[in-house]
Amino acid sequence: MSPDELLRELGELATSLGPAVRPAGTDELLRSLTETARRLFGAAACSLALLSEDDSELHYTTAAGEGADDVTGLRISSSHGIAGWVVQSGQPIAISDLDNDPRFSRGLAEQTGYVPQTILAVPVETPQRMLGVISLLDRDTRRPGAEQDMTLLALFADQAALALASVERFNVLGTVLLAALAESATSNDLVLALRRAAGELRAADADLAALAATFAALARRGAAERRLALAVLRDIGEYVERRPPRPR
Amino acid sequence: MPRIDLPIDKNWAWGGSSGSGITVAVVDSGVDATHPAVGAIDRAVALRWDPETEEVISTDGPHEDLFGHGTACAGIIRRAAPDATLWSVRVLGSRLTGKGVVFAAGLRWAITQGARVVNLSLSTGREDYFGLFHEIADEAAFAGVVLVCATNNVPAPTYPAQFSSVISVAAHDGHDPLSLDANPAPPVDFGAPGIDITVPWLSGSTIVSTGNSLAAPHVTGLVARILGKHPDLTPYEVKTVLRAVASNAVAQGASDDN
Repeated sequence: MSPDELLRELGELATSLGPAVRPAGTDELLRSLTETARRLFGAAACSLALLSEDDSELHYTTAAGEGADDVTGLRISSSHGIAGWVVQSGQPIAISDLDNDPRFSRGLAEQTGYVPQTILAVPVETPQRMLGVISLLDRDTRRPGAEQDMTLLALFADQAALALASVERFNVLGTVLLAALAESATSNDLVLALRRAAGELRAADADLAALAATFAALARRGAAERRLALAVLRDIGEYVERRPPRPR
Repeated sequence: MPRIDLPIDKNWAWGGSSGSGITVAVVDSGVDATHPAVGAIDRAVALRWDPETEEVISTDGPHEDLFGHGTACAGIIRRAAPDATLWSVRVLGSRLTGKGVVFAAGLRWAITQGARVVNLSLSTGREDYFGLFHEIADEAAFAGVVLVCATNNVPAPTYPAQFSSVISVAAHDGHDPLSLDANPAPPVDFGAPGIDITVPWLSGSTIVSTGNSLAAPHVTGLVARILGKHPDLTPYEVKTVLRAVASNAVAQGASDDN
């Protein structure tokens, strides 16, 4: 096996295993973050919406407060609305009389059963990519220090971005690993080989990644659960072996 | 902060000027030219990224504002400099993919077509765009075009607000549109009204909004008035004039309490 092939296999292995060794608790952290922000700002609701892979939609992944259950899971176009403007312009904004905005996404508000009067929305981004937007609805603007809300919410957005970036690193672990090696390598040949291998690496197979993540989640629950999962998987493997081949 | 000891005050800077003869480009989400608070838009261009050809496509002619924000910025500029010529360069609203390139192309269009002042109430924090926007910021400065940029509220750099040749603006809590504060600690240059500002929005409406993105057009309007009266000033000289008339500047030896 040539060094290039070896590196590529190493990278592929790391990318396949990444979801299994991904730190647990990111979803819980983001839920806790929106709930903490909601309480700190005395707001009716706080939500986090993330851009889809192709940037065309905002997907509300986490929410706390009024309408939280209904807003979670919603997808809206990133080409309109206050949240859309925030991810497009990279700028935070607050509006204090939403009922005067004729095109405010009232549909969204009505779907969630809560029609807000005010919104404060800030971008969630890393130096590499715009990730999404955190929105606060109807915060208490009479609290002491409320004039700093935009700056303060931006700090929450930074925390969310750090957590999300950490998850993303495990989703492309092979590329991260090879890039890190290239960064610290001193031999020119090795640097070039590593860069070449990192550049050629494909994304992990989605099913395999989901399988690895499911196994990792089960493993964390305990040895008995891990054994149960293995037994079920072996049974499935034996069944697939025994059954007649599918017609092509 | 000490006062710049030159015979420059607000009256010298923009007294009697309404921005006449100065072209201001609003690079944003489009401008609703039918809004009574905006008035005439002399030129409009909409740019978008075509993923098929991987090129920026530009369409000349009137367009709508897709979010409301460009109209808000144009309204603030019109209020400060009623006789300035306004252009709308729409770079936001279509797909987000290729956004940085579209934004850069819109900015370049404004510079090469002859705008004197460009309002940029948008920014990007992406490191990939550092070089591209640095180059464009230099092109603008060498061509005598003033770029007025809203900063973000985070300590991390955003472009092109980060560069020294642009005028970067954050919101302060004042409401006097003719008053700005100078910031002694860069990269933010000035503070201008940007909190609870009543602005024109979609479909002829007005809303009350807050953000650095609304502070920048206040300064853009003042720059148009300054250039209307002193058309030969360079971007750096314009910045000096703004610094000289800053409300928080005090005479040497005087107390800050005065």
